[in-house]
Amino acid sequence: MAVMMEPATPPHPGPGLLAHEAQVRYGTVPRELGGQAMPPGSIGLHADSFLLQTNTGYGFFYRKGEGVVIERDSGADPAEEVLWLNGSTYAAIAAINGFLPFHASAVVWNGRVYAFSGPSGAGKSTLSAALGRHGLPLLCDDTLVLDIADPARVQCLPGHKRLKLTPQAIALTGSTAQERVAAIIDKHYAEPPGGIIRQVLPLARLCFLEDGPEIAFTPIGGGERIARLNDDHYTAELFAQARDEDFAARFARIAAIAGHVPMTRLVRPRDPARFDEVTARVAAWIKEN
Amino acid sequence: MTGPLNRCSAAFGETEIDGEVVLLSLADGTFFSLTGTAAEIWSLIDGTHTRDALISALALRHDAVEAEIAPDVDAFLAQLIKAGFVTAG
Repeated sequence: MAVMMEPATPPHPGPGLLAHEAQVRYGTVPRELGGQAMPPGSIGLHADSFLLQTNTGYGFFYRKGEGVVIERDSGADPAEEVLWLNGSTYAAIAAINGFLPFHASAVVWNGRVYAFSGPSGAGKSTLSAALGRHGLPLLCDDTLVLDIADPARVQCLPGHKRLKLTPQAIALTGSTAQERVAAIIDKHYAEPPGGIIRQVLPLARLCFLEDGPEIAFTPIGGGERIARLNDDHYTAELFAQARDEDFAARFARIAAIAGHVPMTRLVRPRDPARFDEVTARVAAWIKEN
Repeated sequence: MTGPLNRCSAAFGETEIDGEVVLLSLADGTFFSLTGTAAEIWSLIDGTHTRDALISALALRHDAVEAEIAPDVDAFLAQLIKAGFVTAG
């Protein structure tokens, strides 16, 4: 009988750290950041602090180690609060704490993460949700938070946002509709058919979604990988600001990730009549890769 | 342009991915990608090759006529010099 003792792996500290840092209390937020006035409609990050003043009656202020302060006008829509908190505010918290937020939805296969990136409306959430029907559970929707401390082994933190889909996407993906996101947003929270994974897992591949007449998977090589990472403008800027990175440091960071993370251009038709075909092809491709 | 060609390492960041050289201008954050012959020329800009020596080396490697490749090489060197990545003695 072989008796073995294996070293226990401590849980990744990221999820707990970010959950702690994102704790909310209500109060008054500053009107300036780093000596700059911050009127409604402004957003800024300075050193270890972040301030967002919306045009809709919300203020969000975060300082490292102190959690989030939310100020809400009496006329503000309560449903918006979680959107701002889990959107720009959470991305800033992640960046200030050394994690890289990336605009992507992601699924899990074989203990590794396949992420789909693209501009808003590219179909990241819909495709990721639908892949659940092929046994690929969802890791995150819209924002993928990465631990890039070791570029050779980029880790993906589980999602902090609930899946949001349009009524059409809910029907296409076989997701279960929940409450409407907000009065002015024609989306519902939804439960994906493949369930949700809440583990830290390694990143296998980044896929960039594009529209086209036929399904095609094309590897992205060389410098384009750097350009693709650099093109995630908002989150890339946020992270660079939080780290006080100059061009050289930002380039070194992006190049290190680009050198290790495989990337693929995924072109597919957006015709709803071909959605099931596309989803099946993408699922098969992931399982082969 | 008779002296050795030198890289101005303070002006750019450099990395290589899949055999492609990627340069970043530290002045304005612009990326440049060098593949194939461009990457080969870049590798020959090492502080020892003059413009003429570089063209000779390249012609030898590719079994080409120096006079025929010289205009393309000169145009590329002019781009590198304009970007501030290279100086010519």
